[in-house]
Amino acid sequence: MQLFRIDPLTKKRLQRFRRIKRGYYSFLILVVLFVLSLFSEFIANDRALAVKYDGKLYFPTLKFYPMSTFDQKDEYGFDDVEANYLGLKTELRELRAEFKQRMESYSGTEAELIAAEPKYARKDAWVLMPMVPFDPYEPDFTYDVPPPNAPDGRHWFGTDGQGRDVFARLLYGFRISMVFALLLVVLGQTVGTIIGSLQGYIAGRFDLYGQRFIEIWGTLPFLYVVIIISAFFIINMWKLIIIFAIFQWIRITYYMRTEMYREKTREYCLAARSYGASSWRIMFRHLLPNCLTPLVTFTPFFIVGAIGSLTALDYLGFGLPAPTPSWGELIDQALQSDNRDKIWLSIAPFGAISITLVLVTFVGESVREAFDPKQFARYK
Amino acid sequence: MLKKLPVAGRLLVASCLIAGGFVVGCSSEKKPEATKDSVESSEAGGEEAAEAAPVHQKVPKGSTGIVVDPASIDWDTNEDAPIIGNPDAPQGGTWHDWMGSYPLTFRLQGPDSNDSFAGWNRSFTMDFSLVRLHPVTDEFIPCLATHWKVMDDNQTIYYKLDPDARWSDGEKITAHDFEFCYDMMLSPHIVDPFYNTHFDEYYSAVEAVDDYTLRIVGKRESWRPLYDYGLWPMPRHIFEGKLDENWVRNFNLQFQVAAGPYVIKETENGQRVVFERIRPWWGDEKRYFKGLYNVDKIDLMVVLDSDRALDHFKKGELSHFRVTTAKTWAQDMEFESIQKGWVHKKRVFIDYPQGLYGFAMNLQKPIFQNKDFRKAVQYGFDFDEINKNLMFNAYFRAVSAFEGTEYENPNLKPYGFDPAKVREHLAAAGYKTRGKDGIFQKADGSRAAFTLMYGQPGLERHFTVVKQKYAGLGIDVQLQQLEPGTAFQRGLEREYEMTIMSRTTNLFPSPHQYFASEYIKTTNNNNIWAFGTPHTDELIDVYRFDMDKQKRIDAMWELDSIIQDEAFYAPFWQAPFVRLLFWDYVVWPDGFFPRRFEQITDWQVMAIDTEKEKALAEAMKSGKALVRDEIVDVDRWGVKAAMVQAGGN
Repeated sequence: MQLFRIDPLTKKRLQRFRRIKRGYYSFLILVVLFVLSLFSEFIANDRALAVKYDGKLYFPTLKFYPMSTFDQKDEYGFDDVEANYLGLKTELRELRAEFKQRMESYSGTEAELIAAEPKYARKDAWVLMPMVPFDPYEPDFTYDVPPPNAPDGRHWFGTDGQGRDVFARLLYGFRISMVFALLLVVLGQTVGTIIGSLQGYIAGRFDLYGQRFIEIWGTLPFLYVVIIISAFFIINMWKLIIIFAIFQWIRITYYMRTEMYREKTREYCLAARSYGASSWRIMFRHLLPNCLTPLVTFTPFFIVGAIGSLTALDYLGFGLPAPTPSWGELIDQALQSDNRDKIWLSIAPFGAISITLVLVTFVGESVREAFDPKQFARYK
Repeated sequence: MLKKLPVAGRLLVASCLIAGGFVVGCSSEKKPEATKDSVESSEAGGEEAAEAAPVHQKVPKGSTGIVVDPASIDWDTNEDAPIIGNPDAPQGGTWHDWMGSYPLTFRLQGPDSNDSFAGWNRSFTMDFSLVRLHPVTDEFIPCLATHWKVMDDNQTIYYKLDPDARWSDGEKITAHDFEFCYDMMLSPHIVDPFYNTHFDEYYSAVEAVDDYTLRIVGKRESWRPLYDYGLWPMPRHIFEGKLDENWVRNFNLQFQVAAGPYVIKETENGQRVVFERIRPWWGDEKRYFKGLYNVDKIDLMVVLDSDRALDHFKKGELSHFRVTTAKTWAQDMEFESIQKGWVHKKRVFIDYPQGLYGFAMNLQKPIFQNKDFRKAVQYGFDFDEINKNLMFNAYFRAVSAFEGTEYENPNLKPYGFDPAKVREHLAAAGYKTRGKDGIFQKADGSRAAFTLMYGQPGLERHFTVVKQKYAGLGIDVQLQQLEPGTAFQRGLEREYEMTIMSRTTNLFPSPHQYFASEYIKTTNNNNIWAFGTPHTDELIDVYRFDMDKQKRIDAMWELDSIIQDEAFYAPFWQAPFVRLLFWDYVVWPDGFFPRRFEQITDWQVMAIDTEKEKALAEAMKSGKALVRDEIVDVDRWGVKAAMVQAGGN
């Protein structure tokens, strides 16, 4: 497809983008963060990365193991619930310390002591926990004071109002925000581009009525529509993306429409037509590649908008259903009158949002600059 | 605070004589954790729609009642009930209090008459009704009527009025003022559908027999006629001839002529309203007004929210402050004034009906048709964990459907958290194996999963903890937060699996609208769980129509235990107390508040000791500490003791 063949102009633009350091590095940072967040389960989770127990290797991140696997029992005597890996780790550490102590006063070899007391055979078992050994859902009520608890060695960013780890929630929230924004922008831009292009290319009545429809559609109060829809369905991410996309496509149609109007009067378009190319082919093979500038330059800003709206909706409580990790929900907690003195609740999500949006905006600015044909223009 | 109560709720609180059988949304003390909700206001509209007035079929509507010669009546009265408050309380001083917004009107009816100021406004006007309920003994006591007599038909009542009673402008209060009130409440010119409907539904006739004898006929027989068919006066000499389409506008900002001891003396637009005590007042020597209305002035300032009000209190600008969040009470109550004994903190237990507040399961949804599953859900609800970790152990578990009334069955014990019982009941319900996600499922693959729908954002943090707990037990709870009005409406329409239900009640619970089987077939009523059997219907009818109190109580106790056994209602928490901060100069009677107490405006027992006020000012100037009162809990009525004994907390 011509769309993805790198022509000299695109190459030049890419080079220009790479030269703009601020945008380029922001882009790299974002990509790295996003890729890392795709593996959140390996970074913040209460399931261990790997467990060596009784000579066997387990990878609990990928599979559910009941407590019975590791000879555990919960406080009510059940062993078919999920294993407690943090507890197992502590258990094993204590066992090793005990063994070491016993060895100091024991006359024989290690092997002899193990033979005498078989439980010490487990001293070689180990548990490898992720960097943050908490998942974003499970409350941690081990503190004396009810949550939220301030940051400490256990929870780097503190806990929220339900005792959940703020760092874990930020991380998972970042992934959800980014995935949401990217999917939404892809969907919205595709639909918007097609409709806008058709309007510009076909023109006439189709354009006239289409434009009136868009104007009316554009005035619908988006937030209320979402709230109404959320009254009928239990919202999940896919439904929310579709609801957002229903409104998201509008803006790009304006630009694509005008681009098409302009491009279709050019000679190469006439030439293609005189060769007998179909409208479809002219539109998507000849015209569209030349109309991509607004699409590409606006995309980062649409991403910013999408993250912002999702956060706003979550803040209001009508976004993704609780307990989905979400920045907006954290901000909501931070702003509740009870929590106004718990500054870690506000610093963390505000910081995360600011950094993400600033990075995306830097990328956007650089893309726009790279695509600007009047590179050396001076405005007076 | 008052402003948070719904329309009907405030009417009920403010004038407890009018709203028999009305049931309303949740009070603010119920939901101290909720911060940005507005569920109450939106619930009010739905309430009126959902309200189904019990109609007694045996007596024709609009009966004309019994007519007798007043001279032949053997009048009833009550001069033996204990005095409310402390009759030796010091007089004088200024009571500083706050309200959330400046009143849009001083009218008592019509548009905008239901704001945070209304409680005070009504407490000196509409609260002066014919008779009152004694807040300790629940007996009827004289107010504007000294005597009364209920006729044999239990719907006609004669009242003999107090000839001493005067309006604040000196005019006599006569039976014609009551007659006028009735006409006025039915008038379309007051633009108040609530009163229009209520008076139309409850009253057949209000007649002045002579200047001081009043006859009221209710629409139907009642075992609490004095409660259902009470009335307050409206100043006929002020309004007569002026009750037209301009009434709402003309009387918008006109100060009320009151039957009570305070009138509005000055206002500062947008800032404050000051009430001043009438001295001497006609009621000063009456038995049941002694010990009340002790202060000379009541100064209400506008403070936007309760956080700021607390700051105003700490600065000494408010006489008292009512703490409504558990966190403030647990963590913010050791400031300097408390340590130095200038300010005292008290948690005063009161015996006020707690209403229905808890998880409701919809018996029309397949998942909850199995009683064992419902019981599994009951045993999986870890109230103590939530109370301890999210609410500073500040609340008490509710158990009964009629909590805080004499109809609550004291023998009920809450379902405690018990994972073994959860397993047992899940297995009995057919959920025997755990799926890949750890959730129990039946042999046919259907999961032990349901949706919890709610409209109060402030409760989300409780529910996520509940959800995690159930997930560990193998039950999947999906949370669905809706706009508060929508959530409430969907509850009424039974379009939910589980929801959080909150309704306040008065001293007389109304089980009929919540549990009568006649409502199962229809929706948009308060029987949101679709419960009811012929037997429970019989019990409810005993409560509604039997004149024997003991029979009514027995019936309700049985109903209460059936409701618990059927397990479709999992009560959440109750807060049967008032958390109070006040300066050292404020003097309370023994036990602080009467037993039946909800708002400070209900029974104004507070007094100000001006000597102590001076001493406090001096102590604060020199930084001298006073004696610190270490006793925090006040439990004169044994409410806390009873709850502790029942194992609630």
